Amino acid sequence: MGLAKTHIQSGQGAAQTDGNIITTTIDKVVNWGRKNSLWPMPFGTACCAIEMMATLASKFDLSRFGSEAIRFSPRQSDLLIVSGRISIKMMPVLKRIYDQMPDPKWVISMGACASCGGVFDTYTLIQGVDQFIPVDVYIPGCPPRPEDLIDAVMQVQQKIASGAAPKGIEVAYE
Amino acid sequence: MNEEKGIAEQASPLVLEKLAAHHSEALLAQRETRGRVGVVVRKEQAYAVLEYLKTDPELAYTYLVDVTAVDNSQMESELMQFDYARFMVVYQLYSYQGQCRVQVKVPVHENDLSVPSVTGLWRGANWLERETYDMFGINFEGHPELRRILMPDDFEGYPLRKDYPLRGRGERESFNFEKQNV
Repeated sequence: MGLAKTHIQSGQGAAQTDGNIITTTIDKVVNWGRKNSLWPMPFGTACCAIEMMATLASKFDLSRFGSEAIRFSPRQSDLLIVSGRISIKMMPVLKRIYDQMPDPKWVISMGACASCGGVFDTYTLIQGVDQFIPVDVYIPGCPPRPEDLIDAVMQVQQKIASGAAPKGIEVAYE
Repeated sequence: MNEEKGIAEQASPLVLEKLAAHHSEALLAQRETRGRVGVVVRKEQAYAVLEYLKTDPELAYTYLVDVTAVDNSQMESELMQFDYARFMVVYQLYSYQGQCRVQVKVPVHENDLSVPSVTGLWRGANWLERETYDMFGINFEGHPELRRILMPDDFEGYPLRKDYPLRGRGERESFNFEKQNV
């Protein structure tokens, strides 16, 4: 849809083309493609992962938003969904998976545990994965409903369409 | 319902009777509440008692349900009962034959934190004992591979002890994420 909008605006500007030639920017086309074909890397460690599975299944059907191609290899994915508790022993694994994902990459921190430790304020639990990896979108809830995850994916899509850099790149250039 | 109750009522005294007959010197205490039987045995005879419970053809407690421990350091009433033994190692056994359970407790003093491993009797005890070691620091002598199972290998302290702070000793902040072998 973003591309269609670009057509019209460009078409109006160039009177002699009769709307048959599209002028746009490479970035916009690329972002349009990225936004509609997000490949998520699921990192499900707790009950949030059950909601994530429901989101991907037929009833909620995340493929309507172009991100149903779940990859269990970080090298093939560009959206990390952290859904569940992360312990100090698990955090190095998560960090490594994040590092293995090719740029540009986005991160959703799903649910209370991933975002802030949730009710598990204990010796072994990371109190928010954003202490170690940059997070683009947080989802509240324990666990969040599938609609919340769809909303988060759409927020990531809006962020991509707007041309804003992923949080990871922002952090790298700070 | 009645039938189940019947089995429990029948089987429960049997284990206590047989233990009293064969291992009376090992028994420190025993109790029976609504068909649930528990015994406290001396550490020195613990292995022999557990072996007896498993191998006796009438009892046949062949299934080791769980091995865990209790830190009684803040329970004065419990501490006094067993000569100020800080820990209580707990074995939960189940007999498919008699369809009944028995709980075996072994008091362990803080200055001698070793208990004989029962991996020779039940192979399933391997990870259960490792977890008890990980959480309470109790050494199971004769265990084939006694190392941490849940916490990272270089973790210090035993987190389920009562003197371990709930929020830890700063591991969440100081844990070395780069050093870990992933």
